[in-house]
Amino acid sequence: MFLEVQHIVKSFQKEEVVKDLNFTLAAHQTLSILGQSGCGKTTMLKIIGGLVKPDGGHIYLNGNLIDDVTPEKRSIVYLYQEDLLFPHLNVFENIAFGLKIKKINASETTDRVHQMIASLELQGQEKKMPHQLSGGQRQRVSFGRAIITNPALLLLDEPFGSLDTGTRARMQDLFKKIASEFRITSLFVTHDLKEAILMGDHIGYMQSGKLKVYENKEAFIQDDHTGVQKEIDFWKALTN
Amino acid sequence: MKANWKFFFLAALVILVVFPFAYLLLLSMASEWRFPELWPAYFGMRNWEQVVSSETGLISSFLVSTGISFSVATMSTFIGFFISRGIAYHPYKRTITLLTYFPYILAPVVFAACLSYFFLKLGLFGKPVGVFVAQFMVAFPYALIFFSSFWGEKTKSYEELVATLGGNQLQAFRKVLLPIAKNMLIICFFQTFLISWFEYGLTSIIGVGKVQTLTIKVFLFIKESNFYYGALSCCLLILPPVLLLYINKRYVFNKLI
Repeated sequence: MFLEVQHIVKSFQKEEVVKDLNFTLAAHQTLSILGQSGCGKTTMLKIIGGLVKPDGGHIYLNGNLIDDVTPEKRSIVYLYQEDLLFPHLNVFENIAFGLKIKKINASETTDRVHQMIASLELQGQEKKMPHQLSGGQRQRVSFGRAIITNPALLLLDEPFGSLDTGTRARMQDLFKKIASEFRITSLFVTHDLKEAILMGDHIGYMQSGKLKVYENKEAFIQDDHTGVQKEIDFWKALTN
Repeated sequence: MKANWKFFFLAALVILVVFPFAYLLLLSMASEWRFPELWPAYFGMRNWEQVVSSETGLISSFLVSTGISFSVATMSTFIGFFISRGIAYHPYKRTITLLTYFPYILAPVVFAACLSYFFLKLGLFGKPVGVFVAQFMVAFPYALIFFSSFWGEKTKSYEELVATLGGNQLQAFRKVLLPIAKNMLIICFFQTFLISWFEYGLTSIIGVGKVQTLTIKVFLFIKESNFYYGALSCCLLILPPVLLLYINKRYVFNKLI
């Protein structure tokens, strides 16, 4: 498997936030993880990204043990709920940021950024500063900045949480398109039931620091803990 | 009628603000101005010409002040920026932040008296470097307090983002944190420059009369009842702050608003 997470545990003071985390993910697949606030989703992502050190367990990426690899060398990009665009850089410079850090030559950088801008449907916005963009546009730039570096794994921490319903739906479609175009492997964390089902090739449910990955979407829907049945019953009751 | 009152009030306010500066300039160009004469016996550039002569020592005081204040402002701004990050993310952040207020609890003269033993042992008394160290000890905590509001969850997220994008700590500072903090750095430089520029208590004790900054010079002239030179040195004293205020307004505040 491309990503293998084995027996990861993490506590803050006496509180055990992540409990014996085990799962695998194949390359170019998206695992969406559903969970309520405070269930340990963000800590789990930060451990995989190398931003938080776990108390135990191992992570393998493409067959290599990455426990002691620093975040800058993991080739894993972590995307926050907030877009975190650099306010002093325009759209072009924000997207080009990762390439410039990796010292990719200027002409290749320009070509790749223009290609990414086209994929993100942001033509004509290159010179705009972050404060001149809408929420959806900002999130698209944030995606572009992460994907252009060609990361081995993309970690998305409720990336559409701050967007309105319409923009959120458009961003979900765009992400599906880009994930397929750039063959992205990703973990997509959300607390939105519908989004979890829409975005993932596989679905997991996290509760009190424990993650359960379902064999298929049907198994996820049938499980009472996920709340899918309650949702179905609610809509059925409305129509009757 | 209402508009007239508004105009009168504004004019009075402008006169109140401008008058002390205009009067200082007038006084700096006068000599032999005795009561009850309405106009000085001499009015011209004679006092200002004296500035360049070594007799008054004003030029050397101006240069010493500029050198010390520039060094204090530069060092406290840059060191303060980096150290404040360490404090912001430290588990004992609150205790350390409380300690940074210590130099402001004591009067500068008392603070200097507390430090004098150590300065004497280190041979820093009466030397510009001693005055620099003393003023740095006041300006540096100010920079720490000033930058404490800059660091937080968002800056931490920026640093983490740069790391996952493949950048190291140095790149996070050079390409993200320093450009974002640019305006704060300029304002902090300005403020710490002013703290150092107008510092009197510490400078007079640590400098023991040998390090004559412009502020010390102003008090010397006033003690000697030499109002004309006192006014002249005051004019020199407000020159750099006015220049910095102009730069701040032109390049910082206009961008912030």
